[in-house]
Amino acid sequence: MFLPADKSDAVDLRKTYDAIVVGSGAAGGMAAHVLTSHGMQVLLLEAGKKLDINRELKSMEWPYDHPRRGDMPPDSHALSGREYTIRKPPYAQGSPYKHVYSYVEDGTGSDYAKDIVVDEKDHPYTGTEYAWVRARCLGGKTNIWGRLALRLSDYDFKAASRDGYGEDWPISYADISPYYDKVDLYLGISGHKENLPYLPDSIFQRAVRLNPAEVKLRESLTKMGRVLTPYRAGVTTDGLKHNKYRVHCYGRGACDRRVGGCDIHAAFDSPTGLIYPALETGNLTLRTNATVSEVTVDKDTGKASGVSFIDTDTGQTYTAKGRAVLLAASTLESARLMLLSKSSLHPNGIGNSSGHVGHNFCEHIMGPGVYGLDKELVGKPRTLDDGRPGSFYLARFRNLEDRNQKFLRGYGFEGGSGTGMFPDNAYGTPGFGSAYKKTVRDYAGAFIGMGGFGEMLPRYENYVELDPEVKDRWGVPVLRFHIKFGDNEKKMAKDMADAAREMFEAAGIEVLSVNREILTEGYSIHELGTSRMGTDPKKSVVNQFQQAHDVPNLLVVDGSTHVSASCQNPTWTIMALCWRSCDHLADELKKGNV
Amino acid sequence: MPYQINRRDLIRIGAGAALAAPAVFAADAPKFFTPAEFALVDELTESIIPADDHSPGARAAQVAAYIDARLAEAFDAKEREDWRNGLKLVDELSRKMHGHTFMEASPGERVAVLTRMAKNEMKPKSPEETFFRDLKHATAHAYYTSKIGIHQEMEYKGNAMLEEFVGY
Repeated sequence: MFLPADKSDAVDLRKTYDAIVVGSGAAGGMAAHVLTSHGMQVLLLEAGKKLDINRELKSMEWPYDHPRRGDMPPDSHALSGREYTIRKPPYAQGSPYKHVYSYVEDGTGSDYAKDIVVDEKDHPYTGTEYAWVRARCLGGKTNIWGRLALRLSDYDFKAASRDGYGEDWPISYADISPYYDKVDLYLGISGHKENLPYLPDSIFQRAVRLNPAEVKLRESLTKMGRVLTPYRAGVTTDGLKHNKYRVHCYGRGACDRRVGGCDIHAAFDSPTGLIYPALETGNLTLRTNATVSEVTVDKDTGKASGVSFIDTDTGQTYTAKGRAVLLAASTLESARLMLLSKSSLHPNGIGNSSGHVGHNFCEHIMGPGVYGLDKELVGKPRTLDDGRPGSFYLARFRNLEDRNQKFLRGYGFEGGSGTGMFPDNAYGTPGFGSAYKKTVRDYAGAFIGMGGFGEMLPRYENYVELDPEVKDRWGVPVLRFHIKFGDNEKKMAKDMADAAREMFEAAGIEVLSVNREILTEGYSIHELGTSRMGTDPKKSVVNQFQQAHDVPNLLVVDGSTHVSASCQNPTWTIMALCWRSCDHLADELKKGNV
Repeated sequence: MPYQINRRDLIRIGAGAALAAPAVFAADAPKFFTPAEFALVDELTESIIPADDHSPGARAAQVAAYIDARLAEAFDAKEREDWRNGLKLVDELSRKMHGHTFMEASPGERVAVLTRMAKNEMKPKSPEETFFRDLKHATAHAYYTSKIGIHQEMEYKGNAMLEEFVGY
């Protein structure tokens, strides 16, 4: 592997670091990058292991070169979508299988991601049905993310002012826009300019090409005033001169073959995009297999003094010291950590005088979508359609200027068309023999489909708390979920299915099926809220620079702080916000203000 | 060590991946099926995806050997049982319809047996209909992930380095 010389596992427990960052995904990697670039001495703690990620992903291995065509060993089980609906967590309880994984492992190529995601047997949770996907390894979920990289706009940041529901964000687009630019330029993003006020353009590198069925749908939608744009992917398509760990996309194909992962790192992942370059500054100490179990507190000042962490191999607990602590453990894990950090000064958990930690959860509702056939493409010569990190994104069109009376906010669609490595129609095409074989061949490239991602409204009643009894493998109390989609989400989901059908029909695409079923909460893997930003310390947990109102040297820099979910995928916003907050923190540390 | 890889290297890696393709399961003795069962599975899978003028079929792609290997190590013993029973059902149906086993049947008789089994493929009702669905699924999976299925039948063009990224 091409790791730069690092100081792994060499945590100096006597030293007071300028900052301790908990978690190494999109947010933690960004915090490490920004703070080390300001000359800060940073300790980065990751609960999972350091993997030789290219050996894990084996991006170009053919199915027939793998003994199970990419599937996991027989003693491993991936939860099916149905299992989340017929049982309650902990889902691995009583399972005869040796290892149980979340639903992302229920597909082709599961063997390549089984070491990246957690074994549900070690990491239980309780409460309401929730499909919780967690990755514990260096880089977290960025190793397998879907790569759709979208900006939010003032339609999102000021949504409450527009429709009266919930709270505005304490920032506007003008505050974050320069930081979106920085993220675009530092990490690379592919896309096509559309000049939409509600889906602002990034500084794009070359876009992926839409194929014929997608162009047909785009042109039809244009007449309806709606926009289908090439997938805005957090992938460098022109290359990045400043990063020697990544090369530009070579359009190899098979991007959708397995649970994400790009072994040339054209797709952004936190280790090659952020952490390795940060290690090169000499200012970063990285410690993996370090599960933080508590933010420690200075009894005199009430400020954060550092963290306690458990060595996941030995079970031994250590304490590291820092002038500032940044939580980037993922929305739900950061909330868990704050709730775990109880002390006489912070009896409800650190940063939780408002009682809002763990509350105001929001995410994206998924499930409704449409699948169709473009008859003109049947029998056409084979093309390469999956040499793209993604296919298309259909931007939000509800509740922009017109007001839909049935529900608040909006949704977008992700979709695609064309041939992949495996002809999905092989299972759905009836019959057998030469005719069957020819039908599969002729139709394989003629299908088009899309699925919606809708904004779930944040509600105080949707929350997580610590389970008083159940603990994980290391003896740390687990989360208990109280999360349910509400009436607005259900009405929106119905509209998503209806609108999807209408748009396909208008484009002359034959509709083969319309999916109306809502997937279990958590499915989007876009969990947000739980430590929301705000100006009022009674109704929010952190300020606009993601500092806890109660504890100014404690920052929460991941999706926890998002005030509302919008309908756009959150990763790019998480990183832009984190960059902004870390610039501010570095400044405050230099001034001695925190 | 700096990570630098140029375009020529990448293209060579891609070509190498396409060339190096050892057969994973050689046609040795079956691991789970009896020789007679194996012969029947081989015949059934070839009937579902036969060789034609476009490409070889399931037999050449060693679909039966792949199914056999997966069943031999399956975690749930019921899966093996279901297949063994399913194969019996095929012969029972063939006897009922034509008076002899599937292997003894003529090509036309075999088509008739499979047509009966495939009757409610998307919503199987009887045990033999359920078995057909499982058999078809396993055959399609194994065939279209095989070297023959990917390269000859589907003429898949991806998983190789391109000279240039194909832009918008």
